[in-house]
Amino acid sequence: MADDNKDKKATPGQKVGVYVCHCGGNISDHVAIEEVCKNAEKIPGVIKVQDNAFMCSDPGQDLIMEDIKNGVVDRVVVASCAPGLHESTFRNAISRAGGNPYIYEHANIREQVSWVHHGDQATNKATRLVAAAAAKAKELQPLDPYRVDAKKHVTVIGGGIAGLKSALDLAHRGIDVTLVEKSPFLGGWTAKWDRAFPTDDSVSELVTALASEVLDNKKITIHTCSQITAFEGFIGNFKLTLTEQPPGSDAYQDDIKRWGASEKAFGEFIPLVGICPASIPETTTTHEIETGALVLATGFKPYEPRYGEYRYGESEEVITLPELIRLMAENRKKGVGDTLTVNGRKIRNVAMIHCVGSRQIPGIDQPDAKGKLNEYCSRTCCSATLHAAGMIREVHPKTRVFDFYRDIRTYGRGQEELYEDASGKKVVFFRFEAEAPPEVSRNTGSGDFPLNIKVKDTLTFDEEVEMPVDLVVLAVGMESNDISDLVEMMKISVGVDGFLLEVHPKLRPVELAQSGILLAGTCQAPFDMGETCAAASAAAVKASAILGRGYVELDPFVAEVDLNKCNGTGACVNACVHEGALTLVEMDVNGEKVMRAQVNPAICTGGGSCVAVCPENAINIKGWTLKQYEDMVDMIVSDQILPSEMA
Amino acid sequence: MSTNKIEFDALVMGGGIAGLQTALDLADQDFKVAIVEQDATIGGKMIRLAKVFPTLDCASCITTPKMSAAAHHPNITIFTYCELQSLKRTGGEITARVTQKPRFVDEIKCIGCRQCEYACPVYVPDEEQGGFAARKAICVPFSTAIPQVALMDVENCTLCGKCAKVCPTDAVDYFQKPDDFTLTAKTAIIATGFDFTPLEDKQQYGYGEIPNVITALQMERLLAPHGPYNRVLRPSDGMEPDSIAFIQCAGSRDKSMGVSYCSRVCCMYAIKQAMLLSGAVPMADIAIYYMDIRAFGKGYEQFYQNSKAMGVEFIKGKVATIDPGENGSVTLHYEDQGADGGVKTAEHDLVVLSLGMVAGWNPEGVCNLSTGNDAFIKTIRPKIAPTLTDMEGVFVAGVAAGPKDIVDSIVEAGAAAMEASNYLTKRARKLAA
Repeated sequence: MADDNKDKKATPGQKVGVYVCHCGGNISDHVAIEEVCKNAEKIPGVIKVQDNAFMCSDPGQDLIMEDIKNGVVDRVVVASCAPGLHESTFRNAISRAGGNPYIYEHANIREQVSWVHHGDQATNKATRLVAAAAAKAKELQPLDPYRVDAKKHVTVIGGGIAGLKSALDLAHRGIDVTLVEKSPFLGGWTAKWDRAFPTDDSVSELVTALASEVLDNKKITIHTCSQITAFEGFIGNFKLTLTEQPPGSDAYQDDIKRWGASEKAFGEFIPLVGICPASIPETTTTHEIETGALVLATGFKPYEPRYGEYRYGESEEVITLPELIRLMAENRKKGVGDTLTVNGRKIRNVAMIHCVGSRQIPGIDQPDAKGKLNEYCSRTCCSATLHAAGMIREVHPKTRVFDFYRDIRTYGRGQEELYEDASGKKVVFFRFEAEAPPEVSRNTGSGDFPLNIKVKDTLTFDEEVEMPVDLVVLAVGMESNDISDLVEMMKISVGVDGFLLEVHPKLRPVELAQSGILLAGTCQAPFDMGETCAAASAAAVKASAILGRGYVELDPFVAEVDLNKCNGTGACVNACVHEGALTLVEMDVNGEKVMRAQVNPAICTGGGSCVAVCPENAINIKGWTLKQYEDMVDMIVSDQILPSEMA
Repeated sequence: MSTNKIEFDALVMGGGIAGLQTALDLADQDFKVAIVEQDATIGGKMIRLAKVFPTLDCASCITTPKMSAAAHHPNITIFTYCELQSLKRTGGEITARVTQKPRFVDEIKCIGCRQCEYACPVYVPDEEQGGFAARKAICVPFSTAIPQVALMDVENCTLCGKCAKVCPTDAVDYFQKPDDFTLTAKTAIIATGFDFTPLEDKQQYGYGEIPNVITALQMERLLAPHGPYNRVLRPSDGMEPDSIAFIQCAGSRDKSMGVSYCSRVCCMYAIKQAMLLSGAVPMADIAIYYMDIRAFGKGYEQFYQNSKAMGVEFIKGKVATIDPGENGSVTLHYEDQGADGGVKTAEHDLVVLSLGMVAGWNPEGVCNLSTGNDAFIKTIRPKIAPTLTDMEGVFVAGVAAGPKDIVDSIVEAGAAAMEASNYLTKRARKLAA
């Protein structure tokens, strides 16, 4: 593609085509498309105006392609949704028709118009945005994307199942992988469970299956006890600093102790801990890594209940579901009785409470110290709770289980059976409204039960039910891990829920807005293991496609120096925020040796601070020149298209 | 279509959103891919939807660009209106015997100009519009269909010859015969999707007999930008409904219908439709009868809470029977699990059945893939390799392996493409060694 358009002459467009999309009714319900089209015909340079229900559909794209092929138009404006959605769709269509993809300008009349304005205001604003886009399009020049070599190497951050799966997938495709894990162990939270719902797979087998293949694969280099401490570069050519250091004195000590007690060798699964691939470093070392793409697989952490939330922290008889799962796994080694035993106490009645730290509602639930509420569903806790409940009833038939829920969300394959199975095993269900959660209190009444639980049960038409229990288990949700250092370093987006934010949940579900950085697993949202591994593979396949050809193409919207005007003041170099994007170099101009600004297009991001400071107007961003801005402003306020009182 | 053997790296069975994404992810790695689709257009169920949860993006805006990208990808070949006869793996190669069903229109000659459609005098209820509008006996399925090729409905054609007379490219062919051909590849991905649960199995809900009881897909069409009426009207008398009810788990979590599992999407699509309705029919009361609201995906719970704040009423209770009421209204009998409980009746102007999903394809007699007791394709490593089937070199994506929403289907499609790519790479290495 880079060379095909070289011979195209850089002339201003004479024939601008404007294509207006109805977006079903998304735009046309609020914008009078006919009016916009009629006005667009008045824009200087516009020789063709057409509308379509769905410009992005194949028949819609065909309209543009036909006009390009037949030489009807030589510059294209599509007025539709946000450019992030379909700018590339239309650039590709123009390419397919034999045109240069950069003769294209996008006018956003959905997010910026029809979704926020109505009536005449909407139509007028759409008209003015289309006029500005057409004015800019007239000055667009054919450009070539920069093709730069890409490192056939991916860095995967996080050694849980998402990271292991991504690393393995990429290695199978012949791509070198560096796997970075903060802790000394591989396996993440998966390794800290016992059996996976609903299949009852043992996590030791699952983690071992993935990790052993990773350990054996020569394409994968593993760094445990390591973190990324510096980050620069762009898709295809990132540079990372990796710091490997001994874990702090209080970090991972429980896990390290368990490892010691288990007498497991390197590479063997340590129950409730994971797999230690190599010895724990005693000194700090750093490594520089050049890498083509990154996969973030930084995972989640279980919600830590507030002190006093359902008496958590106040009463030792209140524990979380992860704690229960670990206790039951350890009990199994010691042999089990017909009654569940926790810390030496026989549990006759256990209460399990769902949605702790999930589905929180403003005004009802207390925000955390940072003022954050977890309004989302954590997706996995219903099934995990029912799986554990069923296991208690099966192994310890003398322990009764009471389950307190809002909605049972056993949505996945084999999960509804888990619900049925728990019911069949006489787990007793109580349903509560968010406004009236169960109350846990000290039992001061009869019997030797330490706690009481009281709930208004909507299944029995709001009957108030109270019962004594030995143990309360909180089905805690998932929260995103604290990766603020990576977020800051890589300038990636975080959603209001605290999880990393994909570009678009359906169009680009495993990509971040920062090209070349991909998302795998629970750093994006709560998922179960299978969903996590699917997301990890989906991220890997994107990385494989990006790096498979050995090069990447970057948009050519970078600074360009007009050597006829530049007199080497260096103001642009000082203003530039990207180290190395602009430098002063010695050049030969008319037989004289002078200093002139030079752009490194691979580093330049087209930010434009150079343009603002140049005293000679000698530097411009390709595709976004000062002239184009001026033309856009002129056309926005022009009363040629709309009388100015209609602004 | 010739009867030649055509070779590819990968076969993708099904051109819905999962199949398209799998094909694109494989083709972007320079593998040669064939998509085989039984329908006359690619796009699957998603292209038939109005808007999608939880972003309320229009479904077309997401689907059509992926359809277009697949249709124009140099590494992808699409075969539509084809029936898979057999899929076999022999000597490390996948062989698919496929029948091209006759369109009675030459796919190569047809330019999609619709002259035949305009000339055709026969009107037939349009299933693409929920049966609420009419189409012609020869037509392009819908405006964003790919390919833009006309299809003749021989059941209803009167052989009047008008279409053949007006066709500018002589593409109408009344004598077209089914054409068998063979595709070979090294791997295959099953992305055969789903059908809605057949309501004929649930007489208690009176489907087919009570005019103002419609399916969720029909409601989807009523809400779509190019819907049959361009507004929401109830079918029996064209009245704008003042009270609309959704019945959840109509064909899911229901052993009487042999569907004991949860279909995963019905809670969310009902909430979405309820929200769209509160825009389209602002004065209408909207109620959702449910067992559990399963808003588990990213942003879904917040979407659910928003709908409550917008005034959608949620009634916990399973609807037992539905009867026709007075003047076109619909009577529900349900067990109320709300405040005072008991068996109750309610009247609504329009009732929407939130149908579940059943497997779209049964491999029996076609290939050696096993299915689970839910009839969806069985996966053998659901926790760490969720797209692996029990047939070597064959992977599964999307709803073919169990109900899933669009986001989960797309992600799983990427995963299937990855597993298939790895299989292809390993296979090539083995052959080279």
